[in-house]
Amino acid sequence: MLKMTHLSKVYRTEVVETYALRDFNINVKEGEFVAVTGPSGSGKTTFLTIAGLLETFTGGHYHLDGIEVSQLNDNARSKIRNEKIGFIFQAFNLIPDLNVYDNVEVPLRYRGMKAAERKQRIMDALERVGLASRAKHYPAELSGGQQQRVAIARALAGSPRLLLADEPTGNLDTQMARGVMELLEEIHREGATIVMVTHDPELAARAQRNVHIIDGQVVDLAEEPRFHAHNARVADA
Amino acid sequence: MLQIKPILAALKRHKAGTVLIALQIALTLAIVCNALFIIQQRTEHLSRPTGMTETNLLTVANRWVGADDKATPSLGKTDLEALRRMPGVVDATLTNSYPLRGGGWSTSVNTTPEAKKEMAHTTLYFTDDHALAAMGAKLVAGRNFRPSEIEWVDAKEFQTTPVVIVTKALADKLYPDGSALGKVLYHSGHTKPSTIIGIVERLQVPWTGTWASNFAENTILIPRLLTGNFGSYLVRTQPGQLERLTKAVPKLLIQTNRMRVIPEERGVRTFAQVREQAYKSDRGMAILMGVVCAVLLAITAAGIVGLTSFWVGQRRKQIGVRRALGATKHDILSYFLTENLLIGAGGVIVGAALAIGMNLWLVSHFEMERLSLLYVAAGVIALLLLGQGAVLAPAMKASRVPPVEATRSV
Repeated sequence: MLKMTHLSKVYRTEVVETYALRDFNINVKEGEFVAVTGPSGSGKTTFLTIAGLLETFTGGHYHLDGIEVSQLNDNARSKIRNEKIGFIFQAFNLIPDLNVYDNVEVPLRYRGMKAAERKQRIMDALERVGLASRAKHYPAELSGGQQQRVAIARALAGSPRLLLADEPTGNLDTQMARGVMELLEEIHREGATIVMVTHDPELAARAQRNVHIIDGQVVDLAEEPRFHAHNARVADA
Repeated sequence: MLQIKPILAALKRHKAGTVLIALQIALTLAIVCNALFIIQQRTEHLSRPTGMTETNLLTVANRWVGADDKATPSLGKTDLEALRRMPGVVDATLTNSYPLRGGGWSTSVNTTPEAKKEMAHTTLYFTDDHALAAMGAKLVAGRNFRPSEIEWVDAKEFQTTPVVIVTKALADKLYPDGSALGKVLYHSGHTKPSTIIGIVERLQVPWTGTWASNFAENTILIPRLLTGNFGSYLVRTQPGQLERLTKAVPKLLIQTNRMRVIPEERGVRTFAQVREQAYKSDRGMAILMGVVCAVLLAITAAGIVGLTSFWVGQRRKQIGVRRALGATKHDILSYFLTENLLIGAGGVIVGAALAIGMNLWLVSHFEMERLSLLYVAAGVIALLLLGQGAVLAPAMKASRVPPVEATRSV
C-alpha cells in the first residue's frame, strides 16, 4: 500500500542542508495499522506529510497503492489525496465557517460527486462516528473529541485506501482520546490501512506494528504484530 | 466546480466584511452609473451642431466708447461696410448674439395672440440680411430678409417685426403639420403678428446649459439691428484667410474708429475658440466626474484586494486543509473568484436599485433625464469584472498555499 525506498527529504538554505529524512525505508501493507513513533524533530511529521503527498521529497522512491508518485504533477497529487488518502490531524483542522455536514462534504465536493451520493456518504460517515445528530452544528459548538470524530468522518466519507493520522489524540483528554482510539481500531478491524504518528507509547502499543524514527531514519521496525521498539532492527523496505 | 452553498454558508459567518464590501460595490455602481450618464449627456451636448458653418468664422465683440446710442447705427454701418470690403472676407453681419455666445435674448412665442400658455420658448437674434451668409446657416424654405426690411431699433423700444425667419425646430413646434412658412407667430404679450418668411435648417441658441436644452434649436432671426452696445460682428472668411483676418480685422476696426473697446480676452475669437470656451465647464465637469468615477472604482478595487488578501491570510491554514483534502490550485482560485462574484452580485443588485433611485431623485430635483437601463447593465458588468480582476491576485496567492500548510500550527 505504502512503500518508501531510500527516500530522502532535504531542506536547503544558502548555507546549510538539513536532512529531515535520510535513506528512509518503510513498507506498509494493505490492512495494516502502523504506529510511527519517535522524539520531537525525528522526522515523523515529515514522513507523514510526504506519505500524504502534502510535500514532495528530494530523493528515493515512493509507491502509493502501486503508483510511483515522484513524477506526478500537482493536480494528480491532489486527485490521489482526494481519492486514496484520508487525513486525521492533531488539531482536527475542521473549517470553522462550515457546519459538521459541510465539513464532511468538503473532500466529496472536490471529487465532483453528485449531491445525492454526497449526502448518503456524509450521513453514513456521521452515523459511523456517532454524530449524525450534530450535522448542523458548527465545530466551535462541539467538544474536542467530537471535533476529532467529525474529522474522522470527513476522512472516512471518501472511502480512502489509506488513513493517515497525525497525533489524532494529541489535543484530547484521556477519556476522549480513548474513544477516538477505539474508533480507529474499529475502522482498522473493518479493513482500513492506518498509519498513525504518535508520541504516546500506550497508543502506539495498540497498533499492529510500530515504526520508530530517529534523525530521519527508521531505526526500529518490526515485521511482526505487537513488536516493540527495544528489539526491532532497521527495516529493509 | 460549483461551491456556492458552502461559500454562502461561510460568508454568513463573516457578515461585517461581506456587507461592507457589497455596500461599497453598491454605492460605487450607483454613483458611477449616474456620473457616466451625466458625462454622456454632457459630451453629447458638446458635439451638438450649431447650424452654422463653423470653419472660417470669426467673431468680434465691439463696445463703443463715448458714443450716444443714436449714433451707433451709423458707426455700425461704417464698420460693416469696411469689413465686407476687406480682402478675404466673404460677408459680415452684426448681431446681438449668436450660437454658443453665452448670453442673449429669449422669449416665448405662440401662434395666437390670446394664448395664455407659451407654445415655445425661443431666442431672438437681432441681425440683418447678411446674417445667413455670414453665419453659414442653411435656408431650407422661404426667403432671406430683404435690405429694405432691416431697421435699427432701440432694444428697450422693440415690439415685433412684420417678418421673421425661424429655425425648423421652432417651425415644427409651432406648426407640427409642417405648414409654418407664411404663417404667423406672436411674441408673448404682443398682439402684432410676425409672418414666417423663411425657415433655416438649424441655429442653436446662445446658451449651453441644461436649462436651455428644451429649446436648444428654437431660434428667431429678427430683421432689426440693436442700437447701443449690443453688438458682435460675425465675419465669414475665405478658406485659409481666418488666421490673417483674426489679426487684420481688429486692426481695421480700430483704424476705422478708435473710440471702441475690443476686449483683449474673448474680443476676437475664431468660432473654434467660441465652441471650446462655451463647453469648457461641461468638459471640466465631465473630466471631474470621470476622475471621481476612476477614483471610486480604484477604491472599490483596492477594498476588494484588501479584504480578500486579509481573508487569504486569515484562512491560510484552511486553504492548506482544503488542498490536503484534494482541492487543486484551480479549485482554490475558483473558490475565491466565486466568493467575490457572490459578494459582487449582492452588491450590484443593491447598487442597481440605488442607481435607479438616485437618478429618480436627480430627475425630480434637477433637470436630469431618466437613466438608461443600459448604463445600469453596463455598470453591473463592469463592477463584476472589476471585482474579478481585483480578486485575481490574492486568489492566485491563495492557490499557491501548499497543502502541507494543513499540518503547520498557527
